[in-house]
Amino acid sequence: MIKKRIHSKFLPLSEATFYILLSLGNPKHGYAVMQEAEQISAGTIRLAPGTIYGAFTTLEKGKLIQMVGIEGRRKIYHITEKGNNVLQEQINRLRIMLESAEDYQGAYSIRSTKEGNNES
Amino acid sequence: MNPKYVVKNKWFWAWNDDKEEAWLSEMAQEGLHLEEVSLGRYKFLPGNPAKMVYQLDYQSLRSKDKESYLQLFLDAGWDHVGSMNGWVYFRIQAEDGQAPEIYSDAESKLGKYHRVMIYLVIFLPILLFLRPTAPARYGAFSFIVEGLFAVLMLLYAYAMIQLFRRMDQVKKQDKAI
Repeated sequence: MIKKRIHSKFLPLSEATFYILLSLGNPKHGYAVMQEAEQISAGTIRLAPGTIYGAFTTLEKGKLIQMVGIEGRRKIYHITEKGNNVLQEQINRLRIMLESAEDYQGAYSIRSTKEGNNES
Repeated sequence: MNPKYVVKNKWFWAWNDDKEEAWLSEMAQEGLHLEEVSLGRYKFLPGNPAKMVYQLDYQSLRSKDKESYLQLFLDAGWDHVGSMNGWVYFRIQAEDGQAPEIYSDAESKLGKYHRVMIYLVIFLPILLFLRPTAPARYGAFSFIVEGLFAVLMLLYAYAMIQLFRRMDQVKKQDKAI
């Protein structure tokens, strides 16, 4: 199944950028993104402020996110349509990767080795 | 000057940012806490020894952008201790067994050194522009001016090499993880 592919210099997204775009589906400021990324990734993703700030700057320049407001000293950002397209393409790629991994395991054997070990 | 402060003079090279961070942490363990930083001059406030982690960022931000930048670090628990020529000094209390960092991946950490290099590259035309005019203008002193210029160019090349070396180090650290 080959869908229309989106080309972007941002693809593939880094783990940090992926979680930033994902959490900016709703408008929020940098620190809220840090908290949300940690929460939705079950604590596996801890984004540091320098990384967030750098990513925000790059993503804003690339028009993947935009500033939609200011709350005190905090800037509020939201994903753009372009950003959403890039994110969706990344999700497609991840899905393909996951399917590949599952097929590969079925054919060869990370799983069957495990089962073999269990039997012995 | 207020006598309660301890002042230390020390030069800081951009490619030794990790050594600078380690030095400031050692100072904190001896009870000297950075209060103010300016070129070659560090003002410490004596207090109780503490395990503090210092991290340096490099940013040349307009003041209105700097507000939200510093707020983000503050939200994440980092105190802004001071700034000096684009270098921003942050501090956080070290928790047991943890080494908090202001960058969570190598890519963004390398961005910091890219920004320092861009600054140096912008500086290069100015340096080169000075060169041809110098001998004519200074006549008999042209020998000295030429010498100074040569030293400056060597320092420039050295800085570039050291920055590349530092970036290489960061890349290798990333692989080690």
